Parts: sequence; C-alpha cells; structure tokens
Amino acid sequence: MTSLHLSNISYSIKKQVILDQLDFELNSENFILMTGQNGSGKSTLLKIASGLLKPDHFYLSDSQDPRVKKNWHESKGYLRKNLCYLHQTPYLFNGTVFDNIAYGLKQPLFSKTRLNHSEIEFKVNDVLKMIDLQHLRNRQSHALSGGEKQRIAIARSWVIEPSFILLDEPFANMDKQSRHSTYDVINQLKEDNIGIILTSHDPHHGELAFNRHFHLHQGEMIEKSLPDNII
Amino acid sequence: MDDLSTASLQAIALLFSGDAQLWEIIFLSFSVSFRAILLSAPLAILIAFFLAYFHFPMRRFLIALFNTAMSIPAVVVGLTLYLLLSRVGPLGDLRLLFTQEAMIMGQMILCFPLLVALSHATLQSVDRRAWETAITLGAHPFRAFFSILKEARFGLMAAIIAAFGRIIAEVGSSMMIGGNILHYTRNIPTAIALETSKGSFSQGIALGIVLLIMALVLNLLLTSIQGKGEFAL
Repeated sequence: MTSLHLSNISYSIKKQVILDQLDFELNSENFILMTGQNGSGKSTLLKIASGLLKPDHFYLSDSQDPRVKKNWHESKGYLRKNLCYLHQTPYLFNGTVFDNIAYGLKQPLFSKTRLNHSEIEFKVNDVLKMIDLQHLRNRQSHALSGGEKQRIAIARSWVIEPSFILLDEPFANMDKQSRHSTYDVINQLKEDNIGIILTSHDPHHGELAFNRHFHLHQGEMIEKSLPDNII
Repeated sequence: MDDLSTASLQAIALLFSGDAQLWEIIFLSFSVSFRAILLSAPLAILIAFFLAYFHFPMRRFLIALFNTAMSIPAVVVGLTLYLLLSRVGPLGDLRLLFTQEAMIMGQMILCFPLLVALSHATLQSVDRRAWETAITLGAHPFRAFFSILKEARFGLMAAIIAAFGRIIAEVGSSMMIGGNILHYTRNIPTAIALETSKGSFSQGIALGIVLLIMALVLNLLLTSIQGKGEFAL
C-alpha cells in the first residue's frame, strides 16, 4: 500500500494566498471527497500534488519513514509517476480513442521494459472492455460526447496503473446517464486499489463510497464528516 | 497588352520546351530555399515553444523583437551580410560571398523571425491542458514537446509554408550576396530581375508562372492535409 505524507503545501498568486501550509496523509485505500467553493484552490492543490504546478513550499515524505522529506523539485518525478491528474474537461489528443489510451503506455516513465505493440493493444482493449466502450476504439476523439470523453480520459489514466488518480470536478456539466456511467468507472478504480481524490463543489455523490471528506476554505483545509448519501 | 499576351504565350511554350537553363534556375531556387527552411525551422520552432510555454526574463521583449524582425527588408539583410562577408569584412576569410551558402544564410535570417512569430502564435493557441495531460500521463518534457507539435501541426505547416513563400520570392539579399551568377547562384527572383532589365519578358514571365504554380501547389497540399471543414454552408 502506497502511503504518502504531503506537508507545508503553500501557494500564492501575486501575494494572494491560495493554499496556506496544508498538511495531509494520502494512502491508496483513500477515497477522498474534496469540497470547496469555486476558486478555493481545489484544482491548484491537485495539480501541485500531481507534480504539474510548482508551489511556494512543499514537502513529501513516505509515511513509513517521515524523517526523509523531499521538496517539490526532488519529488516531482515521483509525483508525476504515481499521481495522475484529470482535468475537469479532459483533454484528448487528436487521433483515435485507441491512440489516446495507448499514449501513457508508450511513455518510458511507466513502462520500464518497453511494451510491444500487441501488449499495448491488449491493455487498451482490456480497459475499454471494463468501461464498456469497446465500440469507440477507433473513433476520433473530437467525435466523442462529453461523458464519453471523461470516461475515456479516466481509462487512459487507469491503464498506466498509477497509485492515485486525482479527479477534478469530473461531473461538471454531465447529464444523469453519463454521471451514472462515470460513477461505475470510478468505483471500478477503487476496486482496483487505486487511491482517489475527487473534487466537487457538490458533496452529494451517493453512489461513490468515499471514506474521507476534506473541505477547502480560504486557503485552509479541514476534515469534515462524510456527507449524507443523497443523489 | 499584346506584348504581355505574346510574352505570356512564349513563357508557357518555354516552360514546356524543357529549356535546361530555365529548369536549372528553378531547381537552384528550390534547393537553396529548402535548405534555408530545413536549417531554420527546428531552432525557430523550439524558440517559439519556449516563448509560448515558459516564463523567463526578457520573454515579452524577445516576442516583440521577433515580430519586428519580420519586417526587415531583404535588401537590408543583403547589405549587412555583404558587408560582413566581403573580402574586407569580419567574415571575409570564409570566402562565402557570391555562394549558395551565403544565399542560404540570407534566407535563413529572413525566414527565422517569421517562423518564430508564426509558430509562437500557433503554439500559444494550443490548449494548456495538452501539456499537462502529456506530463501527467508520464511523458518526459521532451516527448510532451513533440506531442504539442503534433497537436499544432497544421498551424506549424502553415508557418513553414508562409516562410518558404517569403524566401523563395525574395530578390534583395539573393542578388546582393548571391551575385546572380549563372549555373551557380542565379535563382528565380534574380533571374526575373535580370531578364526584365534585358527586355526578355517571356523568360521572366515563365519564371513568375513557376513561382505562382509552386505557391498554389503548396497551399493545395496544406489544405488537403488539413482535411475538409466540419460545417456545411
């Protein structure tokens, strides 16, 4: 089980404090709901944690050995390898669904021994089967609906087997049916022992079995009780 | 008017007659300009990428500088290089004046700012999420850079074609530092200038037609790669 301790996370833009010395533990059994108003710094925190955004201060340590602390520069390689960030509106590269899902598998960071074409094909087909979108395999990415794009983007992260997937407002602008299909995919990630942080301004996602709830407000993070399961 | 139509007809006949000298000039022109583009484009696109994606001191100044440099007249580039490469100039020992290499240098200086400015505009317009997505999916920044280039390929191709269009048609620097030497540094624009001054309009027009056909072919190629439009009229 991967267990991380992220501490002293601070980020400000032009002297306006966005995140103020945040501190939290993360392990792959976590299914964290992170709430907060628009502009509260949810996306910023996820981008810092996944090694995409440079913070003012940051330390990462392994929960097993908290004495060894690494700053953001020292840990960004590890963060990029193990924590995969998904945008609110995911970006799919030009090309087919297959090309998109295979993208991460072709990057050396994830494939210590380079995967050959048939292995990549197998993994992509496998993940498409799991999210029940095999029929979209050869479709161009620009021809997908918003909900399909979101699920393909999740599959694209899932296939590279990160320890954590950070989902930034995945249900924004999604209709009820797409929302339910996406719930199914996220629950499958959980069954696959991938730690998840999901941000939302709406705390009520009854079909998702969160086990922790954090709330961001004015640069600070507080742990709250889990919301009632109301759909 | 009669002169013009007669000269045009003669020009077309000349093109199809397989006149060796004419085709040699055309080949030389393309060869020099292709080499200038090939040598300039990689560095220009890399600089454009840094200008579009990273913050560093003098960034805005550099963008303004490249935008301004787009309008440098070819004769000024020619004159400057002439002074540098002439026997008494600081680079005179290289003995490059009146060579194809000097013409390539001149054309590189002319197309470089155009390539940087147009590529910068294209790369600037690529969605920022593309870079983040590539990185979070495990791409090394170098691989992510190529993914961004792939996303922006049509705009970058348009930039390269625009730059090629500028240098294949420029006469100022080629004339000054190439010297318009037959079989060696005479290209389409310098040949047109020479033939016109001699009153030999048909050869000039024939070369002009080649330039226009080349522009048309390149643009047709670009639009065919870019695919059909999504919306019906």
